Amino acid sequence: MLSLHIAARFLKKSPIQSLLIVAGISVGIAVQIFVGSLIASLQSYLIDQTLGSSPHVTIAASKEGESIKYEDKLQKILKKDKRITAILPQRTLSILYRKGSESAPLSLKGGDPKSLNSIYRLSKNVTKGSFKLTDNSILVGKEFAKSFNISPGDEIEVTLPDGKSKILKVNGIFDLGARELNQSLVFSNGKLPADILGFSKDQYSKIEIQLADVFTSTKVAKEIDKSFTGLKISDWQVEREDLLSGLSAQTSSTIIIQVFIIIAVALGIASTLSVSAIQKTRQIGILKALGMTDARSGTVFLWEGMLLGLFGTGGGVCLGLGLIGLFQWMSSRLETSLFPVEARLSFIAISAAIGIAVAMVSAIFPTRRTARLDPIEVIQSG
Amino acid sequence: MDELLTTDGLKKIYGTVLPTTAVENVSFSLSQGEFVSLIGQSGSGKSTLLNLVGLLDTPTSGKVILEGKEAHKMGRKERANLRNKLIGFIFQFHYLLPEFSVLENILMPSLIGGYKSDKRLKKFAGEILDFLGLSGLEQKNANQLSGGQKQRVAIGRALINRSSLVLADEPTGNLDTTNTDQVYELFRKINKEFGTAFLIVTHDRGIAQRTDRILEIRDGHLVQDVYNKYLSA
Repeated sequence: MLSLHIAARFLKKSPIQSLLIVAGISVGIAVQIFVGSLIASLQSYLIDQTLGSSPHVTIAASKEGESIKYEDKLQKILKKDKRITAILPQRTLSILYRKGSESAPLSLKGGDPKSLNSIYRLSKNVTKGSFKLTDNSILVGKEFAKSFNISPGDEIEVTLPDGKSKILKVNGIFDLGARELNQSLVFSNGKLPADILGFSKDQYSKIEIQLADVFTSTKVAKEIDKSFTGLKISDWQVEREDLLSGLSAQTSSTIIIQVFIIIAVALGIASTLSVSAIQKTRQIGILKALGMTDARSGTVFLWEGMLLGLFGTGGGVCLGLGLIGLFQWMSSRLETSLFPVEARLSFIAISAAIGIAVAMVSAIFPTRRTARLDPIEVIQSG
Repeated sequence: MDELLTTDGLKKIYGTVLPTTAVENVSFSLSQGEFVSLIGQSGSGKSTLLNLVGLLDTPTSGKVILEGKEAHKMGRKERANLRNKLIGFIFQFHYLLPEFSVLENILMPSLIGGYKSDKRLKKFAGEILDFLGLSGLEQKNANQLSGGQKQRVAIGRALINRSSLVLADEPTGNLDTTNTDQVYELFRKINKEFGTAFLIVTHDRGIAQRTDRILEIRDGHLVQDVYNKYLSA
């Protein structure tokens, strides 16, 4: 460990220079952690906002308008799949709401309240009234309720597809974060549409699925498609290509930013270590004259890189976490709430490992220069 | 006496476009415990010869045999290891490491050689410090010492591995007369007490007269190899 001891002394001998390079690595790693966490959190926030309250994969009958049977085989396969977090067998029908001369077409979606809640997060998204669904009760969207001045507890009359009228009680008003859905969607339990459509217990319009990782939707959809015939499987990545390309662009730009941060950190360390190697030429020459081998003297600068990397990365992790904390504190003080930034341990660990690895790789040039140095060059130069 | 160092037809040419011969056909032997000076004018090739026998430089042709080992055939790593074990260097500009204390500078060749900085080694370093009159300065930084003290630390460093040969290149070139005398007295004392052989490069004939044998180099050729008793006779 003589090389480590010498490396530590070299760094200690030039404290300002060492502190500056440690600060440089710290800032680089902190920015890397902060920007990475910020963009990853923004991405998961966007995904949550846009896809959190909607199905990721939908199973329907291959013929438009036909119902499907939620058979035991399909149930078993879906329930066994660990990637699937929520399953909603649902029945949908179109109804019409009329008030005086005005009318509004509505899409009534009925299903088991628990399953409805697991996909549409009604317990959270119902902003007025109750999210509980009893027979002949419904939940309506915020925009629809506002347009027709409807409050929880009100009873509304709707026209069913067969032309008959039905009175339904509004239990609550939801906000799914999408104007279109808030305007046209109505939730009920599964019995109401089953009675209207004349569906049996295992007969449904569609089966909606949510996944733990939204980006596995295409794979899951293909697997279901392979296992069953006569079904039409759709997934959000195909249906919402615009959103997917936006998310992909964001991921690419994040990677580019992080790569440039790493390059900047690497160049900073490499240049400082190179200067340090030149400054210490005399000492390395003396050590070699005293019998230190080329390989061993080269490791002095590898250790310098390692030490700088360790201290710089340690500082960078603390600073990065501090920046995330500051962002969270500032967003909690603002009136309009920002998205929550989450510090993920795995990402921090990867960033720290990259920081140390970059510092060591940056030490290769001075290490090679040192290894090649001939002690006679130093002895002769006096 | 046992043979310590032998050079045979040693030659060193620098440069390829304009080749300059620094040392040519130099052959001599040094026995264990000898106290020898190497004299010559500036540019005569004495430092080059010292670097060749000190395994800091490689000869263009010829042999360097150290304690029976053919050093001229060795690679850089082997030469570095042999240098560490057998040779102690004392340079004109002392070449101490400013990042380390007096004690650490003295211990450095042992640490490079893979010895642990244990009680036994530190005790020996303490004895060397005592011997060199440097007691009490162990923890001082090398930069805080006077020129004479620095050179004494460099001598201590050359002794720590109990090297059989000390090569000194103009060791008193930067010292005043008093310090010069003290350093030569020390060399003599070490030579007698430790049995260490010395090859001292100097351009000062007065200093050379105080050694047992004088080698003289002129234009890269060894022109004189005489024992002092014959010189004084």
